[in-house]
Amino acid sequence: METFVLNFLNGLSFGAVLFLLASGLSLVLGLMGILNLAHGALFLFGAYVGISISKAGGNFLVAALLGGLAAAAVGLIMERVFLRHLRGLILEQVLISFGFIYVITNAANWIWGTATQVVASPISGSIVVGSMHFPKYRLYLVVIGLAVYLGLYLFDKTRIGAMVRAGMDNPEMTKGLGINLELVSTGVFCLGIFLAGFAGILGVPILGAYPEIALEALNLALIVVVVGGTGSIQGALLASLLLGMLDSFGTAFFPGLASFSIYIALIVILLFRPEGLLGRRA
Amino acid sequence: MSKMEEPPLSLATVTGPGKLAGLIPYIITGLLLLFLPPFLPDYYQSLLVKVLIFSIFAMSLDLIMGYAGLPSLGHAAFFGFAGYIGGILMLKYDINSFWVVMPASLLGTVALAGLFGIIALRVRGIYFLLVTFALGQLLFYIAWYWRSMTGGDDGLVGRLTPQLGIPGITWDPTIFYYFVLLFFVLSFLAMRWLTQLPFGTALKGIEQRELRMESLGYDTWTIKYLIYIIGALFAGLAGLLFVYFNGFIVPRNLGLAFSGQVMFMVILGGAATLYGPVIGCAIILILEYIASLYFPERWPLLFGSAFILTAMFVRGGVAFYLDRFWNR
Amino acid sequence: MDRLDALRADKVSKSFEGLQVFSDVSFALKSGERWALIGPNGAGKSTLLNILSGVLAATSGQIWIGAEDVTRLPMHRRLHLGLSRSYQLNTLFPRLTVMENILLALNGHSSLKNQLFHRIKTTDRKFQRMQEMLHSVGLWVKRNSYVSALSYGEQRQMEIAMSLASEPKILLLDEPNAGLSESESTNMVEMIRNVTEGSTLLFSAHDMDVVFSLADRIMVLAFGKIVAQGTCSEIQCNSLVREIYLGSE
Repeated sequence: METFVLNFLNGLSFGAVLFLLASGLSLVLGLMGILNLAHGALFLFGAYVGISISKAGGNFLVAALLGGLAAAAVGLIMERVFLRHLRGLILEQVLISFGFIYVITNAANWIWGTATQVVASPISGSIVVGSMHFPKYRLYLVVIGLAVYLGLYLFDKTRIGAMVRAGMDNPEMTKGLGINLELVSTGVFCLGIFLAGFAGILGVPILGAYPEIALEALNLALIVVVVGGTGSIQGALLASLLLGMLDSFGTAFFPGLASFSIYIALIVILLFRPEGLLGRRA
Repeated sequence: MSKMEEPPLSLATVTGPGKLAGLIPYIITGLLLLFLPPFLPDYYQSLLVKVLIFSIFAMSLDLIMGYAGLPSLGHAAFFGFAGYIGGILMLKYDINSFWVVMPASLLGTVALAGLFGIIALRVRGIYFLLVTFALGQLLFYIAWYWRSMTGGDDGLVGRLTPQLGIPGITWDPTIFYYFVLLFFVLSFLAMRWLTQLPFGTALKGIEQRELRMESLGYDTWTIKYLIYIIGALFAGLAGLLFVYFNGFIVPRNLGLAFSGQVMFMVILGGAATLYGPVIGCAIILILEYIASLYFPERWPLLFGSAFILTAMFVRGGVAFYLDRFWNR
Repeated sequence: MDRLDALRADKVSKSFEGLQVFSDVSFALKSGERWALIGPNGAGKSTLLNILSGVLAATSGQIWIGAEDVTRLPMHRRLHLGLSRSYQLNTLFPRLTVMENILLALNGHSSLKNQLFHRIKTTDRKFQRMQEMLHSVGLWVKRNSYVSALSYGEQRQMEIAMSLASEPKILLLDEPNAGLSESESTNMVEMIRNVTEGSTLLFSAHDMDVVFSLADRIMVLAFGKIVAQGTCSEIQCNSLVREIYLGSE
């Protein structure tokens, strides 16, 4: 019984990490139709910034916030200087974001070096489950993940969310209504990037921080988006929890085949519902 | 009979007819490729081989993405899959005859494309990008974790030469160069033939107005499926040649980064032209070589910046400007 | 039934996520008849044509071409049964030349193998017919121009010409003279009339002049149904139709 609880908690917390990682990508893709492949690189960047701040004595949460802001600053450049000129050109946007993977990752390597970075988990200690222990930090992540989800859910319901969606469907009309679409679009994009950077250092105690994570994190985030469907944040949440649980229980039953179950889920989705669990056919 | 010029509407569609004012550039290039290499120093010759192999890869993506408008983020899966089949047959099972290895890896790749195509072609646009990416990553994951078969993240390593069963051939780099050149020429001619047929026009039609094509009586799903498989076939050919050339194959050769690189070659060179991707390929591999000499650490930065700038400003690709210049 | 109807709709309905466009559309077109589909704006004329051609699926009901139930048949297969259509907005291939557009249209009704591998010869009868058609509207000289460089009127003519390439038995035209000037309209009507001898024609239109010069029968789509159908004179006398069109031309 207690193994089950442990696996469940593991799944929950890994799901939280996945959600934190994927939410920004899903937000930007769902609201703006932009597939930002640099998402993982920005995650990495935010993690590195966060780690530096943390090492300089900053509070962990503050480090995460600053990591998010630093990433958002880069995102601002991406959007203002480049992406904004390519509205509606999907392939071009994807290519720009792909190029940014290299630029950001290489710049990060230049600044911080290529060695793996570590940071101590800010909340040490564990809760006790029967005769087993479960790290408190992982529960902390679940709480944060939930908070982020609630925040995004409410955001979607606000006028801003509606504005962005309107802007995507009918830019002329939206501008005609007096809405500063440019500002709103940039804002949403930077919010999505902020989430990536914010998730950066939060994920470090679980995922680590090293150059390759730019692609690995992107890979995970994209799988969440494919499984969940590109339209909604609910899809990302559902997929994150599902994949988290599958990974946790999967590793318990088939140890040695890491992430196996995530890919099984991916195959199933691709075969039977390629638009994702909560997505709509193109 | 003057053609009215018009700028491309998006990256993946240059409306060149594929002709560079007749055959002259082809003849010149052909002669250079035929006669120059024996005089080149080893390293440059080897670079040229690499360019030829990756050109086949890039042209194959042009068929799928440039002509048919299917933006695939998982094209490297076919390149790597064929390479792995070749590597596995030769290094694990000691089957060395080229006449077995080549058909086996190409058939395997076609089968894979047949399967992937059915899955990926159920969706379009961004979904297609995502699904092709996911399929590629699936293969990457299998290659990474199936150590016993694929060598895992170490990959498969071995000095291999194509065993043709013809007595008297001792492989040296120059002979290998001509071997690859032969396949390059055959591939180019085959793909060009295909695009000059009504098949090519039909692909362009699908890329521009798929609905209209269906109203006109075209079974667009089947046509897309066919070109997807054909593109995979040539990518597989490039992958197999790569294993001979490179001496090793790793999961990375199946992955997102690799798919993105070849996509860049196509865009930079000019999509829907076939010769464009060859040019794009040459530019990138040459730049990569130069970077490796002077600033290897910062090559990704240069590469990424070039990617970004191309997507922003050089939208028709080099071919677009060449075409314009030539037809002035 | 003495002979099979060319095109028949049987209680066709269409709803989009709760919004019902029409509830019961039924009609039978006999071979060679020329019908105009009229009705107030938003009645669903384009939607109906989309359903008949296969762009959209009907929510319920059936559609028959001759003896074949085509309700679930994909678009391209309907072309091979003799049904062709044009669109209200020009849907030509913008980055191809006029000639390439024509060749694509001409090859559409061949088998897949021929579509991809068979080059049309200039001696081909269908090609020459196309050539004449384009010549008559002054487009043949522009055959190597990119379609996006043509004027709106020229593109419109091409749009219609493309739908005629397969010499269809049934031709659906969605507002063929949309956006055309008076004289362009007349030319358009002339072109359509000449080329559709013997075919079944169903077109939607707002301009009653075009309706009367091209059609011998009219069906009126309003309030989610075909409220009236018959010969031109019958419809002109129909009081319900008059009411619907009170004040309009």
